[in-house]
Amino acid sequence: MSAAAGVALGYEPLADEKRREGRIWITQGGSHVVPAVSAAFKSAVLSAVLELKPRKQVRVVVLGTEIDALPPRARAGLRAQVAFLPANGGLISNLNGWENIALPLGYHTPKRLAGLAPEVYAMLEQFGADPRSLLARLPEEMTLYERKLAGYVRMRLGTPKLVLAEDLGGGLGAGERRRAAGFAAAYLADCPEGTFIQLEDVPDESG
Amino acid sequence: MIGVYRELEGSMRLAAHVLRRFWVLKLPPVAEELARQIYFTGARATTTIVILGAFIGTLIIAYVIEVLNADAELAVKILSWVVLREIGPLIAAVLVIQRSGTAVATELALMKVSGEVASLRHMRIDPQDYLVVPRVVGIALANIALTVYVQFIAVGGGMVLSALIVNVSFGEMAGSFFLLASPLDLVYCLAKSLLFGAAIGVIACYYGLNPLGNSINAVPKAAISAVTQATLAVMLLNVVFAYLVYGSALFGLFTAAL
Repeated sequence: MSAAAGVALGYEPLADEKRREGRIWITQGGSHVVPAVSAAFKSAVLSAVLELKPRKQVRVVVLGTEIDALPPRARAGLRAQVAFLPANGGLISNLNGWENIALPLGYHTPKRLAGLAPEVYAMLEQFGADPRSLLARLPEEMTLYERKLAGYVRMRLGTPKLVLAEDLGGGLGAGERRRAAGFAAAYLADCPEGTFIQLEDVPDESG
Repeated sequence: MIGVYRELEGSMRLAAHVLRRFWVLKLPPVAEELARQIYFTGARATTTIVILGAFIGTLIIAYVIEVLNADAELAVKILSWVVLREIGPLIAAVLVIQRSGTAVATELALMKVSGEVASLRHMRIDPQDYLVVPRVVGIALANIALTVYVQFIAVGGGMVLSALIVNVSFGEMAGSFFLLASPLDLVYCLAKSLLFGAAIGVIACYYGLNPLGNSINAVPKAAISAVTQATLAVMLLNVVFAYLVYGSALFGLFTAAL
């Protein structure tokens, strides 16, 4: 069995790498919080995982697969199992809530659009949002929590095996932060073999 | 020079992508984008087109009859040549550049700067499929429709208004027009409009998706470049078409019968 087996996300700068960027090694399953020591580190991890291209000075493992050993043709299949939830929800500004949520499904698996509404309504209600109102509004008319929630619902519909959520509680009030903290538990209840990783910004204490 | 080459190559690649990935238009989100683009470029521009078309038609007929002292037949002949073959497609293209070219370049540049294009990639959606294909096809189709509007309004409206201004009856002008106009004129101008629209769409998308920098300042620069280059491209295509039709192109086998 390879050393990568059972690893959901591995990011390891190689020994001769002089930059001390940090190491991430997370086994599959459960919810994990990873402090992002710097914006550059976070950006490097995200691009390594989301682009799935071999890196010269970093060893990257995603869902038990060494990226270096991954044939280019297999990338799309592996990438389909990884979802990313940006800090701002990653919504498209000229689409309303419903159009944003249905966008990836409409593009990748249009047949799944039929009968999607009850599933979306249930997820939005679970996290305290009024579906009718949220789905009709443009992102600029939503609160940050609503944008994150819409992004989360959109991500959930793709049934990924690995979720990377960027600064999930960032910019939210206490109540909203509590609700957003439930995103991981709801995802894992639905997908027990999945892994939910939160990349949390470390507060800058230099100033 | 390298910059010009890069822009030309980038635009060609986008155009090739549109031709290669035409089938994505059947995907629901892409089809919705196409419908939005046709509505914005075509339907929302009709008022301006109606006014412009009527003014141009009247001006040409009134000018020819009053200033050049020509008869109704010559006036309609000039109206037919100028409006059907040249001014109609050009006016529609200029209007589309003004409205949709700037809007598309600005919108895409804003999406790029604000990280929305990256968001599409995170969802494994090719931005060229979702953003470029429906915009280029939508602008090309809407440009054809606008050209037909311009021609209809300019020729029809021009004849109606001119009948009120100069001493020639509408029936006399309409009779001369239908004797002169041929289906080839229509095919020629529709082909031209399709190419004009596609060129405008490709160029606006190219500059929108490749703004010079990641700051908000890059957005108006993208819009300006798109408008300038699209205008140049339309003029160049017009010259090529004029050469093909009026010149002795295609080994002298085909020349226009004026």
